[in-house]
Amino acid sequence: MTTSFLRPNPCRMAAATIFVGCLLVSSLVRAGDAAAGADVFKTECAECHTVKQGRNKKGPSLFGIVGRTTASVTDYSYSDALQQAHWVWTTDKLHGYLSQPAKQANPGTKMKYSGLTDAKQLDDLITYLDTLH
Amino acid sequence: MALLMIRCGGRRTRRVFVWYALLAWLMLVSTSAQAIPAYARQTGSACADCHAGSYGPALTPYGMRFKLNGYTDTDGNGVKIPVAGQVTETHNVPARGESSSALTEADLYVAGRVSDQFGGYAKIEADNIGHDKYNTRLSNLDLRFVAKEQKLAGKDLTIGVSVNNSPGFEDPIAALPSASLLGPPGVTGTLLNPSSPNAPANRVIGATVYGLLDSSWYGEMGTYNALPNSVQDRLGYAQSGDPGRLSDTGYFRFAYMKDLKRQFFSAGVVALTTKRQLPRMASKDDLTDLGYDLSYQFLGNRQHIVQVSYVNILEQRRYGNELVIPNTPDLVASDRANVRDQTLSVTYTFMQSYGVTVSHLVNTGSHDPVRYPPYGDPDTTSNLMSLYWTPFGRDDSWTSRANLKLAATWFRFTKFNGRANNIFGAPPGTLVTNAGDLNAFTLSASAAF
Repeated sequence: MTTSFLRPNPCRMAAATIFVGCLLVSSLVRAGDAAAGADVFKTECAECHTVKQGRNKKGPSLFGIVGRTTASVTDYSYSDALQQAHWVWTTDKLHGYLSQPAKQANPGTKMKYSGLTDAKQLDDLITYLDTLH
Repeated sequence: MALLMIRCGGRRTRRVFVWYALLAWLMLVSTSAQAIPAYARQTGSACADCHAGSYGPALTPYGMRFKLNGYTDTDGNGVKIPVAGQVTETHNVPARGESSSALTEADLYVAGRVSDQFGGYAKIEADNIGHDKYNTRLSNLDLRFVAKEQKLAGKDLTIGVSVNNSPGFEDPIAALPSASLLGPPGVTGTLLNPSSPNAPANRVIGATVYGLLDSSWYGEMGTYNALPNSVQDRLGYAQSGDPGRLSDTGYFRFAYMKDLKRQFFSAGVVALTTKRQLPRMASKDDLTDLGYDLSYQFLGNRQHIVQVSYVNILEQRRYGNELVIPNTPDLVASDRANVRDQTLSVTYTFMQSYGVTVSHLVNTGSHDPVRYPPYGDPDTTSNLMSLYWTPFGRDDSWTSRANLKLAATWFRFTKFNGRANNIFGAPPGTLVTNAGDLNAFTLSASAAF
């Protein structure tokens, strides 16, 4: 049985190749241009957020945002909605959150944002945010 | 029918007044920088978020929203002291006359939020009037109540009330002369132009109700009343600039604006109508301003910003007074007239720090040999060009919540009193003043903190 499983099987090999290929393509599609993302940040986000650690505007600092849990900047006053969200800002989570109006993604949030519908700009932006550590 | 007589000696008085008015206008423009670091401290924002060149008065779309929200937005991190200051040192080089250097203006701003619904702006200004003496006056005032995040037919709605002392100053687009502090100078002008003689600006008090629907449709209406002379005096204003007794005054504004993040544009109409008695015992003049304004901003990634605005205001006048000159009874002023103010302004800003502004200012009016001696034409054409540098006020600068503005500004007159040469009609053998003699160059340094 075990021997049979380890034996090369053309069908399994093809399925595995397609699966790995899909993952690679997906990650390549998501891999944006951080420099372009910095420009997107200036256009879309910089009025309400800084990338400086410890400095908040109307919105909290986005330094280290990727990998951070919600409502975790200690000197920022979050909405109840975000305090109760309890999620981690992964790149996927940011992708979903920023691609729609903020009040739709997190009803009750203070954030006023209509969403970024341009897929490339969104990828660039998230890639840039991921560099802020 | 009341007769308002111009005595023969009045022409000299008028000429002197015109000089003073022009000087006042030049100083107004040269020190027209407005920056309110108290707002930056309140919101955590940088000066550059609200002002393309990190120094006012021109607003970015974000700055417009802050104003519409009644100056109440905050970073939510405690109470901030709503006080800021500004000082301006100016070196003035007039085409005719001696150059001078002086601390021309010191300002105190009481500006900020009281609560999530109440906020305001008040500027107390001390102007150098020569010989190191300063005249302190209440400049612009704008107190607001606002109800944010309302809904109307499923659309976002912001509604508010503004109590202010200058029609147009409260406008969010900030293209109108009272808000841009850029109105054509001249011997006459519209009510909405603070550079006009006896303009209502800062000498009236009024209330307007405004609303912004779907972040795009803006409407506003309200009324104003002139402050009594005694109150104007206490607030630092000389009686000579009294706007007169105003009645049946209405202000209307409607505009469409669109913020596309990388670009912004707006188109609007404005109206101000009143019955004015000037002097206060005189008959009533019917005055109606009808104007439109267009603005465009290219913001991009904020590296290169271009702001363009055009304002055209027509004032229709029906005078209640008949104006004649003694000994020339056949020379009677018309009882109807039009005056028009036009301003075209273009500003380019690089890296939110280096900028150049070029403005073309045109003031025209109906021909009237009695009201506009010596030629009967009030037309004035002028230009303003300013180069400036603001080293701070950005997120990535040494400080984002205070700033310095160094500016070199040229004022150029190509027509005054309807003429390019001998603008005051000096007789042969006497000193002739040409429009170019009114030109001036200034170097100024303003610090806001």
